[in-house]
Amino acid sequence: MLKAALLIASKDLRLTMGRGSGLLQALLLGLLLIFVFSLSLTPGQRMSAQGAAAIFWMASAFCQVLIFSTLYGLEEINGQRQGLVLAPSPAQGVWLGKALAGLCLLVASQTLFLPATIVFLGQEISDLWRLGLAIVIIGDIGIVAIGSLLGALSQGQSARESLLSIVLFPLLAPLFLGGIRIGSAVFSGKLSEGADGWFGIALAFDAIFVASALALFPSVYNAEE
Amino acid sequence: MAGLYPLAPFLALAGGFLLAACQWLILVYAPTEATLGLPQKIFYLHLPLAWWGLFSFFLVFIASGAYLASRKRFWDVLAGAAAEIGLALAALALISGAIWAKTSWGLWWTWDARLTTTLVMCFIYAGYLVVRGMDMQPDRRARIAAVLGIVAFLDVPLVFFSARLWSYIHPPSISLEPEMKHTLVACIASFALLWLGLLLFRWRLAQDAINLEETTKERLMRRE
Repeated sequence: MLKAALLIASKDLRLTMGRGSGLLQALLLGLLLIFVFSLSLTPGQRMSAQGAAAIFWMASAFCQVLIFSTLYGLEEINGQRQGLVLAPSPAQGVWLGKALAGLCLLVASQTLFLPATIVFLGQEISDLWRLGLAIVIIGDIGIVAIGSLLGALSQGQSARESLLSIVLFPLLAPLFLGGIRIGSAVFSGKLSEGADGWFGIALAFDAIFVASALALFPSVYNAEE
Repeated sequence: MAGLYPLAPFLALAGGFLLAACQWLILVYAPTEATLGLPQKIFYLHLPLAWWGLFSFFLVFIASGAYLASRKRFWDVLAGAAAEIGLALAALALISGAIWAKTSWGLWWTWDARLTTTLVMCFIYAGYLVVRGMDMQPDRRARIAAVLGIVAFLDVPLVFFSARLWSYIHPPSISLEPEMKHTLVACIASFALLWLGLLLFRWRLAQDAINLEETTKERLMRRE
């Protein structure tokens, strides 16, 4: 399964990066969101740390919707999905491959969103940056786990981005809340009580959704179009 | 379920009448709460709405799992019916809660754990119903809806605990006088009858829609 997953991930990354337009669209949307929110500030004014963290995660969420829509859209042309369904490897390999490719693209996007948040929203990175890095990694794993599961759901549907958004965003609420609270601490340098609780929730989210995606993905992906 | 359907009108009517009778218990029998005053009476409708809404979502989870295990259409239809009723009840619980919050806390809405959880739950199941309404092959739609029905319910405890860490002002439990307890139990039981009646009606309606669709398809194929 792991070999198939790595093959799918490398194929998807080559196709997405080769065309360029797939990731570029997601990146531009995220950057535009951060820029548009910066317009709410008067010259010299700084966004609150919590507000900036919320905007960073919102940009990541919209970017992720476009990433998984693009990744699952790669096989839509000429019914190539059937090729993956018939491949002699478990369907979960497709989920893992798409999730790995999605994770690489999401992390690549966030490396641009973070400086954009710092510059446009007037933030600074405090000594708590390790906590921030940890929540981004844990959060991203959860985001791609559920994104890869539900990305297959929207495959072949018209207006799949809007469909993915309305289904995904409420499900991601626990991760967003944790990401925003820890992100706020990283920007402000003040760690509020219960930080370990947020990591616990984010890890529980990752565990539940990785396990449920492994169990449920074949039902979504093998279903006839 | 089909055997229970003839009882649906009686259950719904009995539930309606009993809920009307419960108004006497709420307004006359149960004492007025000392601190919160008359607006506290909303509680007797607010709690059954929230509990039966949550139970409906639990039923979606069970029916979705049963559908994936058995692939029987019955479970898919049941999950759809339960989700619609659950969403309606959860939305009414939010509205009644907002009215109560305005009088007790002075604001319509606050980012409290239970309020946030209920709102997120409403969004999740509204998305679930959107998926159910999509134009796609029925078997694929049923499988996708079942997956979503399971994932949605698994997310609810996480939303609750995360929202609880964020802020918490909704009382976790309150002590009630015996008369208040009796009234509350009567309201919950009356709601149970109404809920079951509504579920049976909605299930039958969805089943009829499927039968109609299949008959139409069959006739069209015969003509061809």
